Amino acid sequence: MMSDILTSMPTSMPPGFVMMLAALPVIFVPHHLRQIFMLAVIGMSAWSLTAGAGDHWVVGLMGLELVLYRADHLSLPFAIVFHIAAALNVFYGWHEKRVTDHAAGIAYAGAAIAALHAGDLLTLFIWWEATAVTSVFLILASGTQRARHAAMRYLIVQVLSGVLLLSGAAMIYSETGSMTFTAMELGSLATWLVFIAFGFKAAFPLLNGWLQDAYPEATVVGTVVLSAFTTKLAIYALARGFAGTDLLIVIGCLMTAFPVFFAVIENDMRRVLAYSLNNQLGFMVVAIGIGTELAINGAVAHAFAHIIYKGLLFMSMGAVLYRVGTIKASELGGLYRCMPWTTVFCIVGAMSISAFPLFSGFAAKSLIMSALGYKGLVAAYLVLLAASAGVLHHSGIKIPYFAFFGHDGGHKVKEAPFGMLVAMGLASALCIGIGSFPALFYQLLPYSIDYNPYDASHVVGQLQLLIFSILAFTFLMTFKFYPPELRSTVLNTDWLYRRVAPAIGRPILSAIMVVWGSVIAAIAGYRDAILEAVERLMHAPITGPTVPGRAVMVQTLVLIVILAIGYLVAG
Amino acid sequence: MSGHSEESARLALMGKWATWVLLAAGAVLVVLEFVIHRHGEIAAEDIPLFPAVYAFVICVAIVVGGIWLRKIAMRDEDYYDDE
Repeated sequence: MMSDILTSMPTSMPPGFVMMLAALPVIFVPHHLRQIFMLAVIGMSAWSLTAGAGDHWVVGLMGLELVLYRADHLSLPFAIVFHIAAALNVFYGWHEKRVTDHAAGIAYAGAAIAALHAGDLLTLFIWWEATAVTSVFLILASGTQRARHAAMRYLIVQVLSGVLLLSGAAMIYSETGSMTFTAMELGSLATWLVFIAFGFKAAFPLLNGWLQDAYPEATVVGTVVLSAFTTKLAIYALARGFAGTDLLIVIGCLMTAFPVFFAVIENDMRRVLAYSLNNQLGFMVVAIGIGTELAINGAVAHAFAHIIYKGLLFMSMGAVLYRVGTIKASELGGLYRCMPWTTVFCIVGAMSISAFPLFSGFAAKSLIMSALGYKGLVAAYLVLLAASAGVLHHSGIKIPYFAFFGHDGGHKVKEAPFGMLVAMGLASALCIGIGSFPALFYQLLPYSIDYNPYDASHVVGQLQLLIFSILAFTFLMTFKFYPPELRSTVLNTDWLYRRVAPAIGRPILSAIMVVWGSVIAAIAGYRDAILEAVERLMHAPITGPTVPGRAVMVQTLVLIVILAIGYLVAG
Repeated sequence: MSGHSEESARLALMGKWATWVLLAAGAVLVVLEFVIHRHGEIAAEDIPLFPAVYAFVICVAIVVGGIWLRKIAMRDEDYYDDE
């Protein structure tokens, strides 16, 4: 029987499965041992990557062939960095005794890794939804009313993305008879549905509200975990499904540009990073839109480097939140003396995201910029160059400056817990390693390339961009042009469904309810009138010059008519 | 309270030093621009000091854009608290 179910025998369990299965025992393993157990499980999952390229798990289900484990040159780099991120997150959350963060975190990472290896759209859908259902607990675990509401909005958007994906997949299956997850072309409703499903998770413009809404509401560990997987899974899906789609260049440019303005005025530092995450995704989306081998390498390299440096930045802000109890820029400042290691690690993350030479962002972003240049896409190039200056501005300078320097916030706190420092230290080492040895790093990428980011011309140009951006910041601060950090809420696209939709929807719904009420009342009126007439007929037989039999006959006829109408209506 | 102001003075001094270091780095880069032959990915980038000027202008523009955005999109901190 087994041979009917498994059309090809597995060499090992698909990557990520064991991590999802471990989520339950994780709850019962005591603290410390739990973290070691999780690291072992992540190691086991990573070991299954050694099966190499090919379809390793194909399962027959109700006439469909589900490819649970497909590995190739595109899935591998994502799988490697997802495992690295999962392991770093275990170190980062070592101090955390609340089990929700750990169980949800490992199941979520496992689901995302499993999704990377889905060879068909139905399997992708299953793990796509699993990432939503597991990760929502990282937000819920905050325990506040605010977090609960954000978690529900997050879940609705994520599930909606899944529903769109499933609808698109079903239509593709009915059109082509195949569910294989491979390159698609925008054109039919089916592929548009899949594209928009990916767009929700990749935080396309207008579909991005959930990201800045929900991530900063998660727990200290939760936000770090969230930052790694969902959006980069979407980037992987776009790279596989829609590489070379021109529209992505426009979408990506918008994604790099808009969040920058929001990040400048946002007061919640983890929300600043969520905007910055959105901007970084834009670079990857542009690269996927270009679609050349160099560009896809750039998108993958950027996703790889970004998961680590963005995780590092979120870790440093999480450490500040954990120790100080707030993450509002307006309340922070001067922490460098209390948290020197966190300061150093944050600066490494800041320099990496800003693409300083010798840091990972430089090795990754250079590929994308060159790919744009080779294609002669001047406008997109200038937008991304501006966005690079913007990244430096809000992630490179604003984050470390307002948290650790700036004015003295008067906080006397301890350095971050040891586990956090280990995670940040390892992430920092990776950032510098990738930036310093790009040739080694490029070997992980889907296509083999001969590319050297370190020519004098390129380095000097990039340093000009960076140093003069910082000088602009210094100039603006010195002459008090820089907007002060204010306690505030900045409206983002989630405003559309939190305020606009209810404002328009509620009156429409009430109007519908009024009309519906009057229709129901009218029907009830007619029904009463008919019942009353029948009642009268039954209790007041026709009198006068008739025989009683006639009255009985009339009543019977009326009853037959009513029954017939009733039968017709019910039928 | 004196510790507080002492710390503020220290931060101000660090800021001053950082500014001088940055200015020096900027000056070095300007000199380098005319020592090495720098070329970019697109033609515009070959204009002398293009990345420096572009970055400076963009950063100022982002802040101006941010101030403008604050006028239309900034609300009280408790704006959504009635949910």
